[in-house]
Amino acid sequence: MQPLSILIIGVGKLGQESGQRLIAAGHRLTFVEKDHQLAQNAREIFGNRIFLGDGCDPKVLEQAGISTAQVIIAATGDDEDNLIIAELAHHIYAVQSVLTRVNRPENQWLFTAHRGVDSAFCPVSMAADFIKAEIDKQADKIQG
Amino acid sequence: MNIIIIGCGRVGARLASLLSSSGHSVVVIDKNPEAFERLERSFKGKTIEGVGFDRKTLIEAGIEHADALAAVTNGDNSNIVVASVAAQDFHVPRVVARINDPVRAEIFPKLGITTISSTLWTSGRIFEYLVSPELHNVFSVGSAGVQLYEFEVQNVLVDRNVQDLNVANEIRVVAITREGVGFIPVLGSVFKRRDRVLVAVDTRSIDKLKAMLGLSN
Repeated sequence: MQPLSILIIGVGKLGQESGQRLIAAGHRLTFVEKDHQLAQNAREIFGNRIFLGDGCDPKVLEQAGISTAQVIIAATGDDEDNLIIAELAHHIYAVQSVLTRVNRPENQWLFTAHRGVDSAFCPVSMAADFIKAEIDKQADKIQG
Repeated sequence: MNIIIIGCGRVGARLASLLSSSGHSVVVIDKNPEAFERLERSFKGKTIEGVGFDRKTLIEAGIEHADALAAVTNGDNSNIVVASVAAQDFHVPRVVARINDPVRAEIFPKLGITTISSTLWTSGRIFEYLVSPELHNVFSVGSAGVQLYEFEVQNVLVDRNVQDLNVANEIRVVAITREGVGFIPVLGSVFKRRDRVLVAVDTRSIDKLKAMLGLSN
């Protein structure tokens, strides 16, 4: 597999965890974080690959190298921000693949292809689906 | 018209009152119910507590039959998302987003979202007031590519042919108000002292217009 240039917006737990795995898999990662403290913490892991700034600001995205990124992951804790990042990445910077995090399950319907989203994932829904499936299994075991 | 306003801050409340008092049917959405206290007592529209891009809230506000929507919260990103939802998902014919950040205000029109930037607009008006008080901007066309200006005829132009001020693709005299009566100039019209002149100018040619009016610094 060829290494990809990947830009992650938001280095909360999700951004950090996926960033570490992708680096271990050999990809080239860059990060943008607007919170000073979070950026500072992430520098301890990712060094100078962290850019401090608002990922919804085109100037910040350009500094972080969006024009050469092949994949962008909008992983902030704010759904509006993630949607704006997707719009900019897809429609203005022609990033080939746009992944977005959905924070509130009820916002899932907003994350569509015409807003620049290639793939959206909602950690809350994913965990809830897992719990539901797990309970179904347990119920079979307990009652069966 | 059925109009939905997202955000009941100073701008939203003022806009709601303007529209309501001119006979439109208005629904205002804000996540903070206390914001509705800003509405004038004469406001006849409806208020809904909720988030502007929440599907249920928008449907409750009647977005499926809305003629227009204005997203005027103080969050640029929320305004862009709501405007995009209204235009693309619900096909509301007239949608506008208020954007403070001048960079985003210039980018999102390219994606089909009409924006009004308080920052660009206000600084532009203040600039003009400070630098060229004789020339009043009355309207910006599109993303300010063309401006409509109004000025009073001064010495330089008195008795000159209106045609002399027109420059192809750059400057065009649109209308003249003379002693309170407006008219559209024809071939051979001549400027008189105290005429109020409405002129359309390509934004890049404003200095040229000023020079022609003898206003350049």
